Amino acid sequence: MARCAALLRQQMMRPEFLRRAWMSQLNEDGDEEASFSFPSSLIGLERWRLPQEGCVEFDQPRSSIVRSIRDNFEAIEEDATDLAIAQLRACRPIPEPQVRELCYKARELLIEEGNVVTVDAPVTICGDIHGQFHDLMELFRVGGDVPDTNYLFMGDFVDRGFYSLESFLLLLCLKVRYPDRITLIRGNHESRQITTVYGFYDECIRKYGSANVWRYCCEVFDYLALGALILGASTEVPENRMQEKTFDTQTTLPDQESEIECEVLDANGEVREKLFRSQGNMNPASASRKSPAPDRDPAESSSPATTVSQPPTSPSQSNTKPPTASLFQPPSTTTGSLLCVHGGLSPLISTLNAIRLLDRKQEVPHEGAMCDLLWSDPDDIEGWGLSPRGAGFLFGSDIVRHFNHKNDLSMIARAHQLVMEGYKEMFSKQIVTVWSAPNYCYRCGNVAAILELGEDGSHGGCIRRANGSEGRREMVGGSVNSVGDGETTNGSNQNGGGLNAVLWNLATPGRRYRVFEAAPQGTRGMPAKKPVGEYFL
Amino acid sequence: MSALQKSFARAHLQNLPPPPLPPPVPVFDEREEEDEQDHPSLSASDSSSSASSTGTIIPSPTRNLFERPRVSKSQYDSLPWQDFFDREIYLDNGATRHHAYFSAPASLDAPLFCFHHGAGASGLSFASLTAALRSAVPEAGYLSPDCRGHGETQTPENQTLDLSLATLATDLAFVINATHVQMGWQRLPPIILLGHSLGGAVVTEVAYRKLLGNAILGYGVFDVVEGSAMDALQSMESYLSSRPRSFQSVASGIEWHVRSRTIRNTTSARVSVPPLLVQNQLEDSPATWLWRTDLSATKPFWENWFTGLSSKFLSVPGAGKLLLLAGTDRLDKELMIGQMQGKYQLQVFPDAGHFVHEDQPEKTAMIVADFWRRNDRSTLVLPPKVDDLIKQGKLKPANQKK
Repeated sequence: MARCAALLRQQMMRPEFLRRAWMSQLNEDGDEEASFSFPSSLIGLERWRLPQEGCVEFDQPRSSIVRSIRDNFEAIEEDATDLAIAQLRACRPIPEPQVRELCYKARELLIEEGNVVTVDAPVTICGDIHGQFHDLMELFRVGGDVPDTNYLFMGDFVDRGFYSLESFLLLLCLKVRYPDRITLIRGNHESRQITTVYGFYDECIRKYGSANVWRYCCEVFDYLALGALILGASTEVPENRMQEKTFDTQTTLPDQESEIECEVLDANGEVREKLFRSQGNMNPASASRKSPAPDRDPAESSSPATTVSQPPTSPSQSNTKPPTASLFQPPSTTTGSLLCVHGGLSPLISTLNAIRLLDRKQEVPHEGAMCDLLWSDPDDIEGWGLSPRGAGFLFGSDIVRHFNHKNDLSMIARAHQLVMEGYKEMFSKQIVTVWSAPNYCYRCGNVAAILELGEDGSHGGCIRRANGSEGRREMVGGSVNSVGDGETTNGSNQNGGGLNAVLWNLATPGRRYRVFEAAPQGTRGMPAKKPVGEYFL
Repeated sequence: MSALQKSFARAHLQNLPPPPLPPPVPVFDEREEEDEQDHPSLSASDSSSSASSTGTIIPSPTRNLFERPRVSKSQYDSLPWQDFFDREIYLDNGATRHHAYFSAPASLDAPLFCFHHGAGASGLSFASLTAALRSAVPEAGYLSPDCRGHGETQTPENQTLDLSLATLATDLAFVINATHVQMGWQRLPPIILLGHSLGGAVVTEVAYRKLLGNAILGYGVFDVVEGSAMDALQSMESYLSSRPRSFQSVASGIEWHVRSRTIRNTTSARVSVPPLLVQNQLEDSPATWLWRTDLSATKPFWENWFTGLSSKFLSVPGAGKLLLLAGTDRLDKELMIGQMQGKYQLQVFPDAGHFVHEDQPEKTAMIVADFWRRNDRSTLVLPPKVDDLIKQGKLKPANQKK
C-alpha cells in the first residue's frame, strides 16, 4: 500500500499534471469509503477505489493507510499550489485547466466565509491593486511575504493595469494555499460589467484566447466577502518585524513607550513621521488633511478649545477592562474593531449585522446596500450626499461617527479612492482610505501605502463587544453630540471599569503606514499601447 | 474558336438584354472594395449559386448576376428633422442668426436637455438620441442648436469665422437664454448640458464660466478627453484629407458615413448627415455635394478648444458630471485621478465609435436619463442626517448612558 501511495505521489508530482484530487468524505470510523478522483488522463480511471482487504496485502490497518494517502494528497496539493504560486510570482499565467481548479477551490473556501470576515490582528491592510503586478510584488517586499505577514486586500485587484490576471490569480493562489493568512474582499471592479470595460476581460482574451478564464474569475468574484472585521488590534504600533529580519542596518527601532499612535515608514523601513497619542496634532504629512483633528475627539464640529481641554490620554491603559476580567473580558483588549470595506457605508446599512444579512452571491447590483458598500465615498459633508460616480453615496463625518459608535468600531478602513499620499485619514481618524497602486495606471504619479496593525494579545477577545449587536448600545459611553463630546469621553475614561468603560470613541489602533513607490521601470515590461489617431473634433 | 462558334455566340449574345449601364462612378473609389464585405449575405449567396453549376446561370433583365450587389437606395434616404424635433427656431444675435431644433418641455420643472454638436456636425447629430430620450423622459424638452459655421446657423458673410471656445460658449448660452425669452418662460427649466467632442468642451466652458447660473443640473461630455484629443490633433489633418471631398448625392454621403463606420447607425446617419452637406452650384461640373463646414479651416482653433478641458471639467462645483467614452477609456492623468477619486461618472461603450450618441442612441439615452434622475434636485431625497434624527427624537443620542 505504501508503494501504491508512493506511485500515486510520483504520478501526481509530474509537473505537467495539475492535480485535482479530492477525497470523498471518510466515514465516521474513517475506514470505509476512500475514493479519489483524478483526471482520467493520469491513470486511465475516473475513480480509484482503495482495494478491499484481502485483495492486497496490507501491512498496516486500512484506516491508517487511508489517512496516509490523504496526507500525501494534501502534501501534493500544497506542492502543486506552490508550483502555481512560483509560476505566478514570475508573472507567468498558469494554464487554463489549472485556473479552473484554482477558482473552484477558491470558491469552496470563500463560500464558507460570511459577508463580513473576521480577521484577527496582526494584519496588513491593502487597498486597490488594479493589475499592477510588479507593484504588488513591491508591496510584498515592503510589507513582508505571505505567509509571514497576514494580509487583507480590500478589493479592486483587476482592471486598468496590464497584469490583472497574474495579480488576481496570485492572490487567489495565496488564498487557497494559506487561507488563514490572506483575506480578499470584493471591490467594485470585481464585477462582470466593469471588467468588460476596464481591461480584465480583454486581458483574459488576449492571454488565453477565450473568455473562459474571465468567466471562472467572475464566478469567484461573486463569492468574495463584502467586508472584514479586524479584531484584537493593539493601540500600539505593531512591532517592526521588517527591521529585525531584513533591515538589520536600521537604527530606528520604534519606541517601546507605547506612545506612538501612528507612524509612517518609507519602503526601506525608515521612519518618516511619528505621531504620539498625547499630541494634539498630526504629523506634517497629514497636516495637509482637511481636518487635522485632535486625537480622540469624535466631533468634527467641536471647537479646538474643547478638545484641547481634554487631558492627554493614554487610552491603551485607561480603556482596558479591569484586570479581574474573565475569559470573555480579556484584560488587554484596548481598541474596538475595524471594519474594512471597499467603498464605504450605505444608508441601508446601520449595523454590521445588516451587512451579514445581504445575499452577496451575485453580480454587483446597480443600487442597494451591496452596491453602496462597494461604491460609496466619504466626503466633507454632513449626512448623505449624491455620489458623482453615478453609484453609491457620499457620507459625512456624522454618519461615520454614528456608525462606528453603534457598531463598536474604532475605525473604518476602506480603499476605492485614489489618494496621492497613499493613505488618508479623515473625520478625526474615524475612517482611513488606503491605496496600494503606486503611480496608478502608470501615469498618476501617486505613492501607495499599506496599513499595518498590531495585535493586542487578546486573541480576538474583544469580539464580545465588537460584534455590532444593537442591544448593547445603551451601555456604551461617549457621545455623538458634538457639544458634549469632550466631557463625556473623559467621564467614561475616569469611570474606567466594567461595561461602561466601553467608550464611544474607542481608541484608534496603533497604525503603521508603509509608503512605497512604483516598482522600477526596468522590471515592468509594459506592453506598448499607443492610441491610434482618431477623429476627435 | 472556330468561326462557326463565334457566329453562334454572337447570335446568342444579341438576344441577351443590353448590358447594364455602368454604375455611376462614385467619388470614393477606395470604398468600393468594402462593399462586398459589408454585405456578406448578398455576395455569398450569389457566388455560391454561380459556383454550384455554371450551367444554371440564367441571365435575365431583372437579375444582373455579376453586378456588384447594390442596396436599395431607400436605405440611405435622408430623414426629415421633423421626425425628431417639434420645431426649429431662429434666434438673432446681431448679425448672427442662430438656428436650433427644439422641443419644449412639458413644464418648467421638467428638464431641458441642451446639446452641442462637435466640429463638422450639426444639431441633428442628436436627433436619434433625442428620439430615444423622449421615450425615457417624455416630459423633457430638447434644444439642439447648430453651432456657428455649421448647419443652418448663419453668420455674416464678410466676417471670418470665429470659432474660439469663448465665442461658442457664449453662443450656446445665448441660444438657451433667447429660447427662454422667446418661449416666455418665467425662469429657465433645470438644464442638462450634453456636448459631443468640441461640443463637450463648449458645455464644459458654459458650466465652468457659470453662463447659465444655477440652472445647470449637470453636464455630460461625449467622447472627448483633453490628453487624447491633443494627441489626436496631429493626425487630424491627414484624417481630414482622407475624407472624400464631395458626394454625388446626399444618399451617397450618408452611405459613406455608414460604410466608413464614421457613424455606425444608419437611421441616425440618415438624419444627421444631410445638414453636413451643401450642394455645389457654382461650377459647371455636375452638381455635387460638398462639406458645409471646412474643417481644415478651423485648425487654428483646435488647441484652444481642448486646452484645459480636463481641469475645467473637474472643477465645476455643484453640477453632476458625466463622461461618456467610446471604445476604451483613454483618460488623461487628470481625469484618471479624478475618476479614481470619484469626482464624476464615467461610462465607456466599447462597441461605439466616436459618434457615441449616434451609434448607440438607446444606450446613451438610458445613461443620460439615469444621470438626470440622479441629479434631479426636485425629487432628490437623501437619507436623513443623523443629527436631525436625534433632534426629532427618532434616534437616541449616543451619549445617553442608561
